[in-house]
Amino acid sequence: VLSTENDKSTSSKDSTTEVASKSQEGTAKAPKQKLLDIIGNMTVEVSYRTKLKQLKTREIKKEATNVLEGPDSKPLNPELVQAVSAVASSLPLNKKQTESELLAQLRRHEETTDKQKKGGLLKIRNVISEMAVKRQSPAQRGVRISSRISLRVDEDDQRIKLLHADGSLQNFFLVSSPTIWDLEFAKEIAAVTAQPPRNGFEEMIQWTKEGILWEFPIDNEAGMEDDAEFHEHIFLEKHLKDFPKQGPIRHFMELVICGLSKNPYLSVKQKIEHIEWFQNYFEEKKELLQEI
Amino acid sequence: MEGAVCCWSRRLPGRPVLPSPCTRQVRSYYVDWRMLRDVKRRKLAYEYADERLRINAIRKNTILPKELQEVADKEIADLPRDSCPVRIRNRCVLTSRPRGVKRRWRLSRIVFRHFADHAQMSGVQRAMW
Repeated sequence: VLSTENDKSTSSKDSTTEVASKSQEGTAKAPKQKLLDIIGNMTVEVSYRTKLKQLKTREIKKEATNVLEGPDSKPLNPELVQAVSAVASSLPLNKKQTESELLAQLRRHEETTDKQKKGGLLKIRNVISEMAVKRQSPAQRGVRISSRISLRVDEDDQRIKLLHADGSLQNFFLVSSPTIWDLEFAKEIAAVTAQPPRNGFEEMIQWTKEGILWEFPIDNEAGMEDDAEFHEHIFLEKHLKDFPKQGPIRHFMELVICGLSKNPYLSVKQKIEHIEWFQNYFEEKKELLQEI
Repeated sequence: MEGAVCCWSRRLPGRPVLPSPCTRQVRSYYVDWRMLRDVKRRKLAYEYADERLRINAIRKNTILPKELQEVADKEIADLPRDSCPVRIRNRCVLTSRPRGVKRRWRLSRIVFRHFADHAQMSGVQRAMW
């Protein structure tokens, strides 16, 4: 139910939310959810006629997006695109076809990784970015002016401003650098109001908060925050710059890199640490190596 | 910590428990000293795991020169003895029994049977076929 309300509220936002979608990546999730709740509640009070108009405009927009080739919610990395074109040109087959296929694969890969990472949040961003790309027709503009609540998220993610239809700004100070006393007070309140769990469900909730119980449906990547792209995991040759280019050490390090690139369980940092350790080790043993 | 232990508390291998907001019963001592030593070995093995892996990668090699491998041999022998994972023994978590321990539950067979008979093991039933 909440997601449909959010969709309705997002349908009434205009193209200034392009800024919002970019800076939204910086804001915290919890205050944003709170704000979206507030906005969702607000739209409930909107009259039935405006709701109808909103629904109609949404349908028109959906048709428009089906006609347009909707761009990705997250634009592809330009370096990757360049790499794709280079690869396509090096292959002897049909260049354009290979390029388009590779780009499609990249896009699918990005989509799946994004879905895994951000789950529900992506839906809202998708909707907002769709709004941003479409051009406003004069008919839709008339509808929009009637009940317009635009959302402007500030660069510092402390404040979110609501620009109402009449232009009055409403500031929400969500988190303003909590002092130690605030933290202590919050802890005291939590300790006082923490009642022993009345039933098994509350007990399980408490355990989940403490970290004893996992969150269901089980997220295989819980606690693992690896923001690195796939090419950072696989192409590790750039870390081999300081090694000699010939000889058994190079051969050994290339094997090490081959093994690391196939390891899905380590983060990029850990892999780099391994390589750096070997670097230090061989530097220390340089004198020994020169004797040989 | 164990060095500071006086003679009367030598019986219980304790760890100081900081005041925590937990209101449930918490076991604050290890069952016996052998369990404590096993715990120490596990901690050390975790700390030195990466180094051991890398030094072994140098040793178990046909590419690098043998002198380098001999040096690596000496290095790995210099690491603390408790840091090798081979010394870890999967003891029973409740009774510290070294034998008859099922890996899935980390319990010895006696404790497992006790809990299973009192229906305190989820999904465990007496076999009958």
